[in-house]
Amino acid sequence: MDQLLQHLLNATILGGTYALLGIGLTLIFGIMRVVNFTHGELYAFGAYCMYALVMPLGLNFFMALVVAMALGALLGATIELLLLSRLRGADIDTTMLVMIGAWIALQNAEQLAWTGVALSINNPFPSEPLIVGPLSVSWNRVYVFFVALLLILGTYYLINRTHLGKAMRATFQDRDTAALMGIRIDRIHTATFALGSALAAAAGALLGPVFVVAPTMGDLAAAKAFAIVILGGLGNIKGATLGGFILAFVEELGAGYISSGYRDAMGFLLIILILLFRPTGLFAQKERVG
Amino acid sequence: MLELRDLVCRYGKVTAVKGLSLKVERGQLVALIGTNGAGKTTTLKAISGLLPPSGGSIWFDGVDITRASARKILSLGIAQCPEGRHVFPYMTVTENLEMGCYLRTDKQEIAADFERMFEQFPRLAERRLQPAGTLSGGEQQMLAIARALMSRPKLMLFDEPSLGLAPNFVERTFDIITNIRANGTTVLMVEQNALAALEMCDHAYLLESGSLALSGSGAELIDNPHVRSAYLAG
Repeated sequence: MDQLLQHLLNATILGGTYALLGIGLTLIFGIMRVVNFTHGELYAFGAYCMYALVMPLGLNFFMALVVAMALGALLGATIELLLLSRLRGADIDTTMLVMIGAWIALQNAEQLAWTGVALSINNPFPSEPLIVGPLSVSWNRVYVFFVALLLILGTYYLINRTHLGKAMRATFQDRDTAALMGIRIDRIHTATFALGSALAAAAGALLGPVFVVAPTMGDLAAAKAFAIVILGGLGNIKGATLGGFILAFVEELGAGYISSGYRDAMGFLLIILILLFRPTGLFAQKERVG
Repeated sequence: MLELRDLVCRYGKVTAVKGLSLKVERGQLVALIGTNGAGKTTTLKAISGLLPPSGGSIWFDGVDITRASARKILSLGIAQCPEGRHVFPYMTVTENLEMGCYLRTDKQEIAADFERMFEQFPRLAERRLQPAGTLSGGEQQMLAIARALMSRPKLMLFDEPSLGLAPNFVERTFDIITNIRANGTTVLMVEQNALAALEMCDHAYLLESGSLALSGSGAELIDNPHVRSAYLAG
């Protein structure tokens, strides 16, 4: 019983970052119809920024997260302006190929800049875990969970309540009519890509100190992000949030009770099942963004 | 107020509008009639800045808006109520109206306009928190009109306002358009229901395969034998 509770707690904490990883990707697909293969690299970029800011530069651990997110948004905006803005109206295959190219280029650039050696980031939390009854969890993971939750809620607020968020939803629902309202479609695209990128960078910056930072870390993160987004239905923010938690629970329980060697395989097995039986995702609904 | 000079619009290799010239004077209700594919909707898209013209020019209050952005054109005072209503289906009625005044910053005046719209369209007030996609066709048309009015336009463009509406809503829609003009907003309306359009307009232009075939007052066009046989038959 205690073991089960511990697994459930671990899954919940992992689920927060998975959800964060998922909503960034689903937002970009939902609004821009772009399958963002650079998502995992932005995650890795966030982790590397965290490393560079905290370790050699000695910036405050918490400030570094904010700066890493801002840099992630900046990199996202740059990708959008350099590549995607030229591809408006191009078919989805062309965009996908270009994004795959960007993915490879970014990953190799990371390897060039930081070499292939895995790096670790110190965190300011006590090394003793937080113990509640039979359960224990590291302080850093508790921090990661609550920041992820805060960012998810912030994204919901942004999309549903702010002027910018409403313009994003309008643009996604009806581009030409949104233009008739005076919305600058190009800027909305850049802002959306920057936002999705900042969320990916945040996930990387949060998890970098939990694990180690390496140039290929983005690959598994991207694969999982796609799994989460498929679980929730493409373009569905609520679905991606729930999808993140479901993937975490499946992985954690699968690893705990079946085989820990197949931890990462569990999620993909789930995706195969979902694609076979419910190809539009678990939470398919008409509204995609919002 | 609005003037098109030799407007040419192309979609790829297809020329939809072939050198159209027309004028809309301030305070008028002008109708643009013609069959499907005559280039009416294309003309409105060009005026609103959604489709850059391939030739000719568009002037509004003495300003050349031929290559202006949709945002710029709206801010100069031209709003469009598009064909097929095009409400934002997953946004609420209120959010749709908010989009209509996206460029305005005068909060108090906006609040007053909201009140006015809800007073004028009580059905929208009842459904203000409902997603627009759940409204009936007629209610969506009211919302699309109210949304366009939220920008306080000097010139309203209507694209096929009666298309696909139940008969009672068709009449209501035309009444609303007549009212909008009576309140001082100039109207340019594209309409397939030629008789209704000609009866309510001050001036009309007949488009045939992208070119101007005839123009005159509504009454003149109603009496024209070509119009009678081709557009008002029966």
